[in-house]
Amino acid sequence: MNPAEQAGLRERIAQAQSGNADAWGELYRLHAPAIFRFCRRAMPTREDAEDATMDIFIKVRQKLSQYDVNRPFSAWLYTVAANHCWDLLRRRKVRQDLETGEVENMPLEHPDPGQLEQLIEKHTSQQVRRALDHLPARSRMALVLRYYSEMSYDEIAGTLGVRRTFVGVVLLRARHQLREILEGRGAANAAAGGPA
Amino acid sequence: MIHFDEMACLLYLEGQLEDSRARELAAHVAECAPCRYLLHALERESKLLSGALTEEDEAIPARLLGVQTQGWPSWVWSLAFAAFAAASYWVWNDGIGPWLDQLNNAGFGGTNLMSMMLFSGAFWEGWGDLVDILQIVALLAVVILALGLVRRRLRRPAAVALVLPALLIALALPPQAGAAEVRRGRAVLVPAGETIHNDLIATGPSVRIDGTVEGDLIVFTRELTVTGHVTGDVIAFAGQALIDGTVDGNARVFSQHATLQGSIGKNVTAFANSITVTPMGNVGGGMLAFAGEADLEGKIRRDLMGRIGRSDLDGLIGGQVWIRGLTLDVASTAEIDGPATFQGNQQPSVAAGAKLASPIRTEITQEVGRSRRSETRKVIHEIIGYGAALLAGILLLTVFPGFYRSTLRETGAIGLPLGVGALAFISGIFVFVLGVLLLFIGVTAGVAGALLYAPILYLAQVFVGAWLGNKILGVTSTQTGAVIGRMALGLLILHVARLIPVLGGLTWLVVLLWGTGAVLMGFYRMSRVENVPLPA
Ligand SMILES: [Zn+2]
Repeated sequence: MNPAEQAGLRERIAQAQSGNADAWGELYRLHAPAIFRFCRRAMPTREDAEDATMDIFIKVRQKLSQYDVNRPFSAWLYTVAANHCWDLLRRRKVRQDLETGEVENMPLEHPDPGQLEQLIEKHTSQQVRRALDHLPARSRMALVLRYYSEMSYDEIAGTLGVRRTFVGVVLLRARHQLREILEGRGAANAAAGGPA
Repeated sequence: MIHFDEMACLLYLEGQLEDSRARELAAHVAECAPCRYLLHALERESKLLSGALTEEDEAIPARLLGVQTQGWPSWVWSLAFAAFAAASYWVWNDGIGPWLDQLNNAGFGGTNLMSMMLFSGAFWEGWGDLVDILQIVALLAVVILALGLVRRRLRRPAAVALVLPALLIALALPPQAGAAEVRRGRAVLVPAGETIHNDLIATGPSVRIDGTVEGDLIVFTRELTVTGHVTGDVIAFAGQALIDGTVDGNARVFSQHATLQGSIGKNVTAFANSITVTPMGNVGGGMLAFAGEADLEGKIRRDLMGRIGRSDLDGLIGGQVWIRGLTLDVASTAEIDGPATFQGNQQPSVAAGAKLASPIRTEITQEVGRSRRSETRKVIHEIIGYGAALLAGILLLTVFPGFYRSTLRETGAIGLPLGVGALAFISGIFVFVLGVLLLFIGVTAGVAGALLYAPILYLAQVFVGAWLGNKILGVTSTQTGAVIGRMALGLLILHVARLIPVLGGLTWLVVLLWGTGAVLMGFYRMSRVENVPLPA
């Protein structure tokens, strides 16, 4: 985003903060697709994603006055979105009981780089997306936060409620689970916390 | 050589390794092929992941773009409100209003008991006042309901700012409100010679009015005796009610035994086990009665209508007579000046000497014939009801898809919405009785509440139907057609079930409680969005 656009965005945010409906509409139009896509990646169904997107923007609008203009707007949006979605998922207790605790101690197999390269070569991004659907909620959310929203480890730790030093473990564990699903061995295993 | 593990490589790639360790790793990788390959593979994996996640593989749904691009609140909504409100006002003003006036002028001219009960001023004196208030309340109710539904599209303060004054206006409308004098006690007595220049609300085991009430008299008691003068209406919930004095207005009596011995200026509405109008009794207007027995020896100047098990007519009926019940006995002293109709399962007995304007038109309700005819009517009624409900459901689904879905989700909990619905029903009755009948402050508010409750009650079936459809055909995707199909199937089953005697009625009681509970919870969930704590 160039400086002129940046300034335009800031102005629109300021207008929306003071209650200008048109400015808000423009902000919404600008960011709704990204937030919807985020929800689509994070939530189990398209329907959930639609509902979540609407709810997120309702929240955003209510909290707009609290937005600090020195922070990047889209980063703030993603934080609100991530918290909302993670909250929903947690409330539904998606596979939660199975994935806490033991993960930390589970040793991960050292991968063979050649096999990994092959696996990457063989699979399309669509197949990866489908595999993501089979991941446990936290693994999936971690990958989305990192590789879709490009959140920092600190932000991810804050959203998922884990220690910062543990974020890398969650991400690596998620990658392992994803590889297993792509290899066709053990969506169920991955879902249940994964084998060694 | 000591290799770096996958974790370290990942953290390095992500720029999360501290400087010294990152330098170490970089130096090692320059020397070590396996670690270099691993780093490369991980990097490719990262790219695959970001690519897969950020790829714009599907369009953003029109629903999301459509709703909010026009800004909040959009002119479309405002226009829709205005149109809806105007239409509602018009219907009241030109449709129902004049019809109500007509009824008023004619005393008890209509034949629809239900509408007469509801609209003939059962709980309020002035006809015109009631119609005016109803019109305004209807308008307010529509606006409030609409606001409630689109609340999530409005900013909260705006909605509150709109709704609050509306409610205040509604509450402030009847200026007489709240001015009534209230008396409680073991035996409430207004002695002869005392005059209360106000409405009087009296509660206690026994209430006796020997003096004068210049206003309405509202009574809850076991035993009511009025020998004095009430210039307004008498509204009585009493075990035994004896009105021996003069009432200038209407008498509305809910009682075990009601005896009218004095003079009622206007109309009488009575729900009673037995009603007696003694030879001294005189009703200036008409009488609407729901009673097990009625012994009418006095004078009723206008029409008599009622569902009365056993009727004895000994006195004068100045207008027409329409009675549905078991038996009708017309004594020789009786006089009926208008046409008379009796629906019962045996011929009325008319004594020689009774003065009738025309012979009593009798409809013997033969069980078989009646049931067949009413079956057909019931089926037609059910088909129309089904169509209307389906239409309402589709409208709701297209206009408020979010609300529809969240309410449907609540419906699935079964027990909870059922409980909420039952609670709302009971507390609704309680509030209505307490607020409207007892305190009399909130006739308007009460009617507004009822008007709000009615659509919720109506929509109840939509959600239970949709839930049923989902149970049968499986929960569907976002395909609107499929969603409507499930709703249509569920509603069809419900409406067919209603044709079953007894069981159908019970089923619908459950459906209504369950559905209203779900709708209320749907509202609640939507209003709860704000309560989530601020994200960091
Ligand atoms: Zn090495």
